[in-house]
Amino acid sequence: MRNWFKSGAPWIWLTAGSVSISLIAVLGVMAMIAWRGLSFFWPAAIHEFEVRANDGSSQVIIGEIYDSEEIPMQRLRESGVVLDGYDEETLTRVLLKVGNREYVPLDFMWVMQPQIVRDETPAELAVVERSKDGNFYGYPLHLLENGTVVQSSDLRADLQQRIERAVALNEQAKDLQQSDIGAINYQLNRLRLERRSLELKGALSDSEVARIEAAEQQLRDDYKLLEQRLFAYRDDASRDALVVRDMRGMEVTLPMYRILDVTFPNDMGLFSKIGHFFKQIGKFVTEDPREANTEGGVFPAIFGTVFMVLLMSVLVTPFGVIAAIYLHEYAGKNSITRLIRIAVINLAGVPSIVYGVFGLGFFVYMVGGTLDQIFYPEGLPSPTFGTPGVMWSAITLAILTLPVVIVSTEEGLSRIPSTLREGSLALGATKAETLWRIILPMASPAIMTGLILAVARAAGEVAPLMLVGVVKSAPMLPVDGNFPYFHLDRKFMHLGFHIYDVGFQSPNVEAARPLVYATSFLLVTVIVGLNLTAIGVRNHLREKYRSLEH
Amino acid sequence: MISVTPSNLQAEALDLANLSAEQTALEIRGLNLHYGSAQALYDISMKIPTNRVTAFIGPSGCGKSTLLRCINRMNDLVEICKVSGEIVLHDKNIYDKDVDVAALRRQVGMVFQRPNPFPKSIYENVVYGMRLQGVNDRRTLDEVVERSLKGAALWDEVKDRLNASAFGLSGGQQQRLVIARAIAIEPEVLLLDEPTSALDPISTLTIEELITELKNKYTVVIVTHNMQQAARVSDQTAFMYMGKLIEYADTNTLFTTPDKKQTEDYITGRYG
Repeated sequence: MRNWFKSGAPWIWLTAGSVSISLIAVLGVMAMIAWRGLSFFWPAAIHEFEVRANDGSSQVIIGEIYDSEEIPMQRLRESGVVLDGYDEETLTRVLLKVGNREYVPLDFMWVMQPQIVRDETPAELAVVERSKDGNFYGYPLHLLENGTVVQSSDLRADLQQRIERAVALNEQAKDLQQSDIGAINYQLNRLRLERRSLELKGALSDSEVARIEAAEQQLRDDYKLLEQRLFAYRDDASRDALVVRDMRGMEVTLPMYRILDVTFPNDMGLFSKIGHFFKQIGKFVTEDPREANTEGGVFPAIFGTVFMVLLMSVLVTPFGVIAAIYLHEYAGKNSITRLIRIAVINLAGVPSIVYGVFGLGFFVYMVGGTLDQIFYPEGLPSPTFGTPGVMWSAITLAILTLPVVIVSTEEGLSRIPSTLREGSLALGATKAETLWRIILPMASPAIMTGLILAVARAAGEVAPLMLVGVVKSAPMLPVDGNFPYFHLDRKFMHLGFHIYDVGFQSPNVEAARPLVYATSFLLVTVIVGLNLTAIGVRNHLREKYRSLEH
Repeated sequence: MISVTPSNLQAEALDLANLSAEQTALEIRGLNLHYGSAQALYDISMKIPTNRVTAFIGPSGCGKSTLLRCINRMNDLVEICKVSGEIVLHDKNIYDKDVDVAALRRQVGMVFQRPNPFPKSIYENVVYGMRLQGVNDRRTLDEVVERSLKGAALWDEVKDRLNASAFGLSGGQQQRLVIARAIAIEPEVLLLDEPTSALDPISTLTIEELITELKNKYTVVIVTHNMQQAARVSDQTAFMYMGKLIEYADTNTLFTTPDKKQTEDYITGRYG
């Protein structure tokens, strides 16, 4: 035994064990999030249950099984639920998503297993995905065109064709609204601001007024034309409707312009299920959210996260590198430099919400407020930069991640062999030339390492962003087709905040839960993607500037 | 006793104490150097003749490298280093306040103990000094690369892969590349700080042959801890001990009939 201890074997077991536990923990977290998140997109079977209550009355319930749990009978009895003829200790109940939000009080319901007398999965059952009020479950009966019944030999094919038409029309209407009408609104707003600005300067002459008003009139006329086209699209899209029999046995007419997709999951083979799975994932990452973020995709949040992180990288890298160069190359090696270095390292330990408060107080109100007064007085009292926005978020996170970049850049600078500096100086280079031509390129892998750590930290940060620019739902992306294309004053959506919002601020917690997992998985994927890109760049640089190895 | 046979490549002996102005590449006058409170060089005075190879020998820590690094003010990089005395190049003390150190280092090139090519291509390594001076004309640079690499006896080995990384070369090739880099900017004086100590015997031989070539165009000052090497390549040798210049004479004289007892003890291997 003593020999065993002396051999060092326990030490190997201990160290290897802790590595294994860390690995298992990380993989477990990833697997759990991936499973819960991705299974949301898998087309679930739709069950038709017949449930018999104690009094003998029975009810048909249609829905997907979301969850099931085992609960002790004791708890049910205490809450006043009585089940005749059932005396086990525990009981299984299932959570069903029944959809049809406008016709039932709750779109989720618990069903006790012993009360289910019939459980079927008929192939004709359809899931109707709608742009409003969530999913609808039921049996499609027939189609309506302008209110009259359409006789179709193949209902599904006909339905598919009409959905595609309606979706295409909706798409055109949306494009028109966002690009053309959006541009007109944007220009109208600019004209209003221009007028106000001239007014403030006292330079608003009659000719200027006439010019601006003429331009406004022109835009309004254009707007009317576009509006007519928009209405035409909408009318056209609302031509058709689908009649569906729901679980109450009632026939419900669903207007086609609200229908996004109709699927028959009970009638799908494995391949069509896989196809549907990837289609749903595609929709999730490319579409805008609907219905207070509980339905639809998360594209604006992905875009906001990536855009903000890139903007932060662009800000933090030069700033951190320059600071590190001064500290390492020029600052005297004395106690003040050491003190500054310790202070920089300790900055990394400040809780992030503190940076958020600082960003709000200093950047948003002080700097932004001053900018507004100097450059955008025409917009006041509504602020331009004096309000949280994507630029302030990026700057706040840049400050937050600055220590990481400084520390790793300094480390990189100190790793460069002094013989290379001397070699450059001996050829008549000044210190600055040596820095630019030899030292900085060689330190670039270390700078990238700093950036990787900064990105990893910044992309996951939510708390400070809630103060300096993130919102639940941003009407416009920070980048669009209107000059100057980058609108850094706009608020933005962020995956991390989206998780918080969907999971904890949503009116429909049960519906949102799979979205929380899916969004978490997506956030992790985005961060890993950003990091892998940076690591790829770093490895390329490392190969290029491989240090002298003697 | 080590047998040292001075080679017949050596030039005829000069009267080192009374060199004429045109024979003198640089003159060191009363040089003292301190690292903080410790003195490393004591009152060194010597004249280094033009277009000849001068070797500094001595045991480790005797100050021979420190003295060499004074000649192109490399010691300025050491914060605690203080120099007094004069080193005169073209009637000008290089330690005067108005001296442009970068310009001085273009006149006095240096090659270090370990090959230190930059993480660039062979071509870019050679033209580094030219680019610093703002020369970017492709044809001029091409000429410089060919002339320098030929001057460093490396052209034939690398002419087909000038754009390959300098790290792909062997140690000896890297050291010759560094010499090519140094002579690309046409210095007057070339300082070699133990240029072969990190190399294998064959590379050492190539570099030694190169050094005897180089003296036709440049004044070469070499620090070496290898006495045979000093005997083989140098025209005159300075023996240093504990920061003092003990003896400075033409190589044949110093190795065959040294004046001082300390020199004799060192070259016969009694210490060092």
